[in-house]
Amino acid sequence: MMMRYILAILVIAFTSSVWAEGQEIEGLQLAKAPIDYKNKESITRGAKFFAANCMTCHTLSYLRFDKVAKEAGISPDKTPKNLSFAGITPPDLSLETDVRGEDWVYTYLHSFYQDSSRPAGVNNLLVPNTAMPNQLAPFQGDQVLVTKPMRDLLGHLEWYDLVKLTKQGSMTPEQFDETMADVVNFLAYAAEPYREEQEKIGWWVLGFLVILFVLMYLLKKEYWKDVGSKDK
Amino acid sequence: MIEKESNKQNRFMEWVDKRYPWTDFWKKHLSEYYAPRNFNFWYFFGSFSLLVFVMQILSGIWLVMEYTPTADGSFSSVQHIMREVRYGWLLRFMHTTGASAFFVVVYLHMYRGLIYGSYQKPRELVWLIGMVIYFCLLIEAFTGYVLPWGQMSYWGAAVITSFASAIPYMGDLILVWLRGGFSVTGVSLHRFFSLHVIAIPLLLAVFIFVHLVALHHVGSNNPDGIDIKQKKNREGIPLDGIPFHPYYTVKDLVGVVVFLFVFCLILFFTPKMGGIFIEPDNFVPANPMVTPLEIAPVWYMTPFYAMLRAVPNKLLGLSIMAGAVALMFVLPWLDRSRVRSIRYKGTYSKIAIVIFVICFMGLGYLGHEAVSPLRTMLARIFTLGYFGFFLLMPIYSSIEKTKPLPERVTG
Repeated sequence: MMMRYILAILVIAFTSSVWAEGQEIEGLQLAKAPIDYKNKESITRGAKFFAANCMTCHTLSYLRFDKVAKEAGISPDKTPKNLSFAGITPPDLSLETDVRGEDWVYTYLHSFYQDSSRPAGVNNLLVPNTAMPNQLAPFQGDQVLVTKPMRDLLGHLEWYDLVKLTKQGSMTPEQFDETMADVVNFLAYAAEPYREEQEKIGWWVLGFLVILFVLMYLLKKEYWKDVGSKDK
Repeated sequence: MIEKESNKQNRFMEWVDKRYPWTDFWKKHLSEYYAPRNFNFWYFFGSFSLLVFVMQILSGIWLVMEYTPTADGSFSSVQHIMREVRYGWLLRFMHTTGASAFFVVVYLHMYRGLIYGSYQKPRELVWLIGMVIYFCLLIEAFTGYVLPWGQMSYWGAAVITSFASAIPYMGDLILVWLRGGFSVTGVSLHRFFSLHVIAIPLLLAVFIFVHLVALHHVGSNNPDGIDIKQKKNREGIPLDGIPFHPYYTVKDLVGVVVFLFVFCLILFFTPKMGGIFIEPDNFVPANPMVTPLEIAPVWYMTPFYAMLRAVPNKLLGLSIMAGAVALMFVLPWLDRSRVRSIRYKGTYSKIAIVIFVICFMGLGYLGHEAVSPLRTMLARIFTLGYFGFFLLMPIYSSIEKTKPLPERVTG
């Protein structure tokens, strides 16, 4: 029993296995999430969108709702149900951007496409065979896979090389990009609510150290005046 | 007035000194501890190590006030520290950045010893005690990494404790004893917590003290590797020696400010170092049912991890890994050179040290990456290089032609 357990660990540690959900697409690049931590309005918009569209399934367990409510105007009656869908509990998203990265989330939200072989009728480029239904279809519209995607010289692909929009939703692609950036910005805030304070204090600390350096350097020079010549 | 004040102070110190050797201590270790005057850049890292140790203890004390060492409460208590405790994020990032900074400065400190032969006679014990500190530090870092109870904490603990099972006959028994059960559980977490906050820090404090006692007994080496006590003036003070205090205390303060600048730059702006200081998988709570894609230790252990992975047989791999650390311990007895410093050693030693650095850093990189046939091949070559550096040292260090040593320290 013990040996089998250890063996399993070692097999997994020593072989490069793939995600259980399916094969990843080779050369697929993450789109850069155009977000700004200091943009409070964007975070607020993202929070509202998240509350209206994502919170029916996803929790944000580490984000204090009173804190969110204060900053984004979300009322507690919208607390997530965290329903299990097809046997899979939707993950808590309070640390999602720490786990996957902002660009990953941004790309993931963009790359759903129609796939009739899946129970929910959609699939995703980043997480093949994802269990998540496309909650964003009413906004983005419907996308289908491109049969022969164009690779660049390095063999890289962007998500938009792989899918094309067949029916636009209630948002134009530009509006959808902006909204998804807001959502990612909000999730980044949910993962690191201290970030703005952290950077603000950081500048003061660095400034202080620069001044301290000058003082310490002069002090050292003063003391070391009499060291230097070999012959004492 | 001033005279009166200083008189009062003198009388107070007299009172103390009759009861406790404070002034003696101060003189022996600071104001009359004569250090060579030619310390360079590499000599900052000992002081930095001490500074980081103090910072880790202090930030640790406050973290423990809010941290919960149980399987159920650990992960969320870390998030509680990050979000609800005032400046909790600062304390935690100080501690996580400090862990990596500790290894950066200790590795550079060890490298200094390596290139200037600071381990050679009569400083063998200084080196040996230093290696004990390094070993304690590895255990301290490992036990600390388990505490946030994320996926990497859990699976890292599972893999590293499973090493014990490779020990012939007793393996499985020792494994259960280490984990406090048949698998890694909250029981393991709780005992690692105890080790991390009490046992190992106490050992570290004691060994750091002993390290300094040994050093101050034999005196500091220097970049030229020559003995400054050979040339003394009439008062018996080394001609090339200067009192540690105030000269090196003020010099180290300049270094400390520069170090803190770099430290704070990381701490406030990129504390995760893009997943190198805090791995992304550790933001997922520990789950015994789901194994992460890649289980890799944090960067400071990856050189040894790469050696382990390069060997197909587990017991052999572990022996190689243990051997790699053991060789560092016996370094003072492998070097047969007539001179200490790399400045006066011959070509072979210089080539050997370059190869060693390439191999060690190469292994560090490979241990962090996923396995591929090419990488395994490289890891094997680097492992050979690492062992070659140590095992061939008695030969190449004794047959090479060394340069003549200067009479007095240079620079």
